[in-house]
Amino acid sequence: MLGVFKMQNLKLEATSTSPEVDFQFSEHRLALRGESYPENAAAFFGPIVEALNGYLEQTQNQVIEVIIELTYFNSSSTKVLFNVFNMLNFAAASNTINLHWRYDEDDDTILEFGDDLHEDFPDINYIPESFAS
Amino acid sequence: MDIFQVFNEDTLRDNLLFYYSGYMSHNVIGAMGDTLRYRLETQGTKGATTRKVFSTFIEMAQNILNYGGDEERNEDNRQYSRGAVAIGQQGGHFYIICGNHIDRAHLARVREKLEAIRAMSPEEIKQAYKQQLRTESSADEASKGAGLGFLTVARDASEPIEFCFIEYELPAENVGFYLKAVI
Repeated sequence: MLGVFKMQNLKLEATSTSPEVDFQFSEHRLALRGESYPENAAAFFGPIVEALNGYLEQTQNQVIEVIIELTYFNSSSTKVLFNVFNMLNFAAASNTINLHWRYDEDDDTILEFGDDLHEDFPDINYIPESFAS
Repeated sequence: MDIFQVFNEDTLRDNLLFYYSGYMSHNVIGAMGDTLRYRLETQGTKGATTRKVFSTFIEMAQNILNYGGDEERNEDNRQYSRGAVAIGQQGGHFYIICGNHIDRAHLARVREKLEAIRAMSPEEIKQAYKQQLRTESSADEASKGAGLGFLTVARDASEPIEFCFIEYELPAENVGFYLKAVI
């Protein structure tokens, strides 16, 4: 199987206004960590969403671990994230998607957002995980 | 110098954390955001409150950058829009106010959106936020109406958001827009 897989892994370091992106497609492990309020969320996430879409289109019968540890995201990033979860929910028809929703134990807003995602996208296995700030 | 002194003394007396008026850019917003967060953390503000104040500041400042009336772009196509932001403390609460010019053509739409949000209970704001998120996400970039931004500000506020429009003589196509949120 290894030789068949052609997707390039995607790794972007965090900046002060954009999150670390660590998409290990070869390991079926996708992580976003940090804060997200880039100057132009659509421009920042465009290539990331495109790579994710390419990966999901050619992936079946896999267990995909998604780790989201975002401590702050602005409204335009929120829209992009919502679309990402929509894509994952769709991909969950032919894969197992485990969403590790990591939130600061003091921050109800992030937890509530995760709970809402779970309502909207029931095919994703929602695993809330708190951490101390 | 006299004007500056009066202004400076007023800001200290009114417990203003900071005030900025001028051109907004992504770098200015980032630097102000860092300073704001550092200030809140060093004075022992609760984590959730810090996040709400920070989030409200970012939404308002990026709103000026994206929708402010006097937008300019320099040779590298970076955005600079004119506007003002103030953050202060009053009666044990933080408040954030922003001001910028908007195109008069948008006045009625902005007023309608904000009046609707002002009339909502906290629970209704949460529901409207969820609804708007679904709508805007499926409509992609078509709805550049800052609907989710206003609801994000309203969601983190502890009382109804306030707004007003200010009439200027010139230029006639612009109108001043102030928005205030108390956390």
